[in-house]
Amino acid sequence: MMPMWTKSGKKHAVTLLKVQDCHVLRYVSKEESGGRAAKLLVGGKNVSPFFKPESACQIFKEAGVPRKQKVTTFNVTDDAIIKPGTPLYAAHFRPGQFVDVTAKTIGKGFQGVMKRWGFKGQPASHGQTKTHRRPGAISTNKASKVYRGKKMPGKMGNVYRTTFGLKVWRINTKHDIIYVNGCVPGHTNCLVKVRDSKLPTCKKHNKNPPFPTFFADGDEKLPEDLFDEEIFQFTDPSVTYT
Amino acid sequence: SRAGGDGKPEKFQPPPKPVIIDKQKQRAERRFLSPEFIPPRGRTDPLKYYMERKDMIQRRKVFNIPEFYVGHVLAVTTADPYANNKTNRFVGICIQRGGKGLGATFVLRNVIEDQGVEICYELYSPRIQAIEVLKLEKRLDDNLMYLRDALPEYSTFDVNMKPVSRLDHEEVPVNKLQVRMKPKPWSKRWERPKFNIKGIKFELPESKMKEAQKWSQPWLEFDMLREYDTSKIEEKIWKEVNEELKK
Repeated sequence: MMPMWTKSGKKHAVTLLKVQDCHVLRYVSKEESGGRAAKLLVGGKNVSPFFKPESACQIFKEAGVPRKQKVTTFNVTDDAIIKPGTPLYAAHFRPGQFVDVTAKTIGKGFQGVMKRWGFKGQPASHGQTKTHRRPGAISTNKASKVYRGKKMPGKMGNVYRTTFGLKVWRINTKHDIIYVNGCVPGHTNCLVKVRDSKLPTCKKHNKNPPFPTFFADGDEKLPEDLFDEEIFQFTDPSVTYT
Repeated sequence: SRAGGDGKPEKFQPPPKPVIIDKQKQRAERRFLSPEFIPPRGRTDPLKYYMERKDMIQRRKVFNIPEFYVGHVLAVTTADPYANNKTNRFVGICIQRGGKGLGATFVLRNVIEDQGVEICYELYSPRIQAIEVLKLEKRLDDNLMYLRDALPEYSTFDVNMKPVSRLDHEEVPVNKLQVRMKPKPWSKRWERPKFNIKGIKFELPESKMKEAQKWSQPWLEFDMLREYDTSKIEEKIWKEVNEELKK
């Protein structure tokens, strides 16, 4: 995470996400998957093919791509289908777009009810016998049972979670880095799924993206750094107010 | 003369020319790498520090950030939307430099009309319009937070102070001033060895000083896991930064 300043002098904390060897692996049609939309399987970081059985490497061989550490599915409309084997770059997103980021949260292990669910616990003194971080009562008398889904101690973290509506401030096309506003679930250097935001307030900002994706061998030549309009670029002189 | 000579006179060999060593050029060019360039120890990808460094160098090309240490007296002008001239000038002694990368900060302290004021500025914030070094002197410590508990005369600096002129290529002078403190209680127990402060004149009784030594941890300096040797990293980053700044 690093700071970025806008032209009005406000500071925003920004997370850097690197797009490392992403390829489209397979196209699954609507009927095949049984869902409501067609799916595209996309693979992430490159990894050695020698430590998994041949059957697991089948998808990668068909696409002609080295074995990937992570495979995710994206729901796509029919006009956004991409041929398996095409690489995906950071320029697929543009500054000013809004994005949802999904990742596995940091695993905290078996945790008590105060850390896991934010319960208040009991006072530290004034006669409390051996009860300072316990949940207290778990149900009422009339119910005479404990409801399903009762918040209790257990394994916390290491679950997929999504942060919605994160603004993209900057794209670096040379190193394939996306600068995304705010924080993102997961530890440093973990694998992350970045998707166009599905929040209704972000729909108008996501108009005119590179469709279906940004092709590196196409005609469009992008500069090394793409900035949002509001971002203060360090090539400009210091900010002054009038 | 040689024994069993040739008979021929030797050709006159003039004495070797004196080699003049220019001491000024020999004085090694002082290398100062700002501490926020050195990455902290961790598991982050070095690519992230490389991207931050590119941005920092870009900012330094446009705006001059002078070399300064803790103990220097600086004057900082920032852009302020609510001030008269839209600018705000503050003079103070730098008591602490923290943060790494683009978020590096420094805290300036001054006593204005009997009120101690400390302001934390970000080195790379675009609102800063000028940083001038008014007085150059290093102190005995890296962290002058104890000035909060020292007598106010040690933190007062004239707001309209003129910059003290100095020659370049000279060592930064170290001021071995021992500061006198207000009576206890202090905000932190500065006599404890964990702060390792050399710049205070402790007027406490011997028994208190001995009791403070109970909290010393003499094994810490031998702990190998805490060692973080930055000399090689500094060399690389120094070369990289210099080359970029010369372009």
